[in-house]
Amino acid sequence: MATLSIKGVRKSFGSVEVLHNIDLELEDGGFLVLLGPSGCGKSTLLSIIAGLEPSSGGDVVIGDRTVNDVHPKDRNIAMVFQSYALYPTMSVRRNIGFGLEMRRVDTSSREDAIARAADLLQISHLLDRKPGQLSGGQRQRVAMGRAIVRNPDLFLFDEPLSNLDAKLRVEMRTEIKRLHDRLGTSVVYVTHDQVEAMTLGTKVAVMKGGVIQQLADPQTIYEKPANMFVAGFIGSPTMNFLTGTLEQHNGGLALHHGSAVLALTDIEPGAEAFVGKQVVAGIRPETFSKGEGPSSLTGTVDVVEPTGPDTMVVLDVGGQMISARLGSRERPHPGEPMTLNVDTSALNLFDPDTGNRI
Amino acid sequence: MAFARSRSKLVWDIGSYVVLILLAFICIAPIIWTFLTSIKLEEDIVTRNMIYIPTRITFEHYVNLWNQSGYPVLVINSMITTSVTVLICMLTGTIAAYSFSRFHFRGRTQLMLAYLIVRMFPAVLMIVPLFIVMRQVGLLDSSVGLAVAYTSFLLPLFVWMLKGFFDAAPKELESAARIDGTTRLGAMFRIVIPIARNGLLATAVFVGIAAWNEYLFALMLTTSQGSRTWPVGLQLMVGEFQLPWGMLAAGGIISILPVIVLFALVQRAMVAGITAGAVKG
Repeated sequence: MATLSIKGVRKSFGSVEVLHNIDLELEDGGFLVLLGPSGCGKSTLLSIIAGLEPSSGGDVVIGDRTVNDVHPKDRNIAMVFQSYALYPTMSVRRNIGFGLEMRRVDTSSREDAIARAADLLQISHLLDRKPGQLSGGQRQRVAMGRAIVRNPDLFLFDEPLSNLDAKLRVEMRTEIKRLHDRLGTSVVYVTHDQVEAMTLGTKVAVMKGGVIQQLADPQTIYEKPANMFVAGFIGSPTMNFLTGTLEQHNGGLALHHGSAVLALTDIEPGAEAFVGKQVVAGIRPETFSKGEGPSSLTGTVDVVEPTGPDTMVVLDVGGQMISARLGSRERPHPGEPMTLNVDTSALNLFDPDTGNRI
Repeated sequence: MAFARSRSKLVWDIGSYVVLILLAFICIAPIIWTFLTSIKLEEDIVTRNMIYIPTRITFEHYVNLWNQSGYPVLVINSMITTSVTVLICMLTGTIAAYSFSRFHFRGRTQLMLAYLIVRMFPAVLMIVPLFIVMRQVGLLDSSVGLAVAYTSFLLPLFVWMLKGFFDAAPKELESAARIDGTTRLGAMFRIVIPIARNGLLATAVFVGIAAWNEYLFALMLTTSQGSRTWPVGLQLMVGEFQLPWGMLAAGGIISILPVIVLFALVQRAMVAGITAGAVKG
């Protein structure tokens, strides 16, 4: 187990800088998720941590050791790849034990370690097969076995679940969480799936264009996104953005959008400076409830999507589409008028010019 | 309607088979004819009326060739030259192909093109400078010298072919191996080469066959029995006043035997190697 610090790491390919001055800290035993869309630099950052790619500047510190010039094999890390990267010519047993074999661990301790890892992952019956004879989920387990058998300081996962079908993905996600709870090893996990990020991470770094947009625990990321990109990226359906003017209202502040007035509570101190100006309000779909209230929006029902536990309603409010997550019993009809009350304590305000949180 | 369709299919099938059989015949007939000539009596070979199928069979051409003409030495020379060529290509070409496949260094594309350009010139153009170089370094008329000359034009083929096989091996496997504790070179030997072994075998067989059958360089760069290869030796049997058809045919058959045996042994792996990555596995 070890801490991980990334200090001012940069990476350029030719004249293109893909990582700009990345700073990260991961506590001992923590689970850091690097989350972002394709091409945001998250996998490159993981490769730099692994030592597979040299950085163009900055330091990577694992434990108390700066590892910038340390070969991947000497960093005491283990990595699970998106394609699993199992050696196709070797049996599962040798795949799992390969790292120990390379470190000249004697045969009997190696066999013990393989048996323990296989037992933990329930793949003992597969040890003599070749990777080609395994299903996707089994390969995934073998890849994890190969990682845990060495008892590394740090686990690196590069989108390990993206090749699995939906059901298996949920199962393996739980498995990874269980494994992390049991082993307590620090993890860096790359994904573009926000559900994985929210469920697994103790810390989530949302990345875009080679810059960390926000580094915080999942709850903070969800409830208090640092900017409109993070707000829009996390959550499904995505957060609604409603543009309006901030005004004084009954001694407090309120957002005016057309004829609607949303009285704001729990306002951040900086919001006063935006009185009289345009702001963007970020409203999560689940903060709506049907009916009149102190802060309500009225519009026309556009689309109704029953999902089973919830009913998703798209409401046309003065030309702006708003998604709301309502109870499963709500079954409005398209075209009919509807009024929704907003829980404004969960509302986020953003500066429309910079996109940053107010 | 259905009848017409099946009828046209039949005509099409017959047509295809006729063409295929014709092409196969063109390919195989010379080999069969050489074999038949090699087991005919001398007086049955050149006759007023062509004898297609020999009525009298003899193996005296094989015996004479082996015992009198020094043919075993030629075959051994060819084997040495071919082995050394394949060995040099394997040792240098494998590492070169790996570098081209994995590293993006300055001048990489130009260097690969330069490899190809060597193959674009006619072989004759290369012989004169090669001859001078070989004479100066004292490698003229030696098996090793001939192997080096072969390497000069077979190595590009080897590197280009093998690079394709290395490209097909996923890079993540090497990353995994490097994290597991191997060096870059260790990852190549332990992971990439075992994956690309069929490709390596196919490439080595291609180069081996090319070296085994090469004639022009061998003719120019060898002068004595000590290093002469079988294609040259066979050609030199044709004298001013004699043309030993039987022995020539026997020599031809003996020479293609190693190639046939080699193909039979490795053809499964070769086909797997050549078609690797062509379709989703």
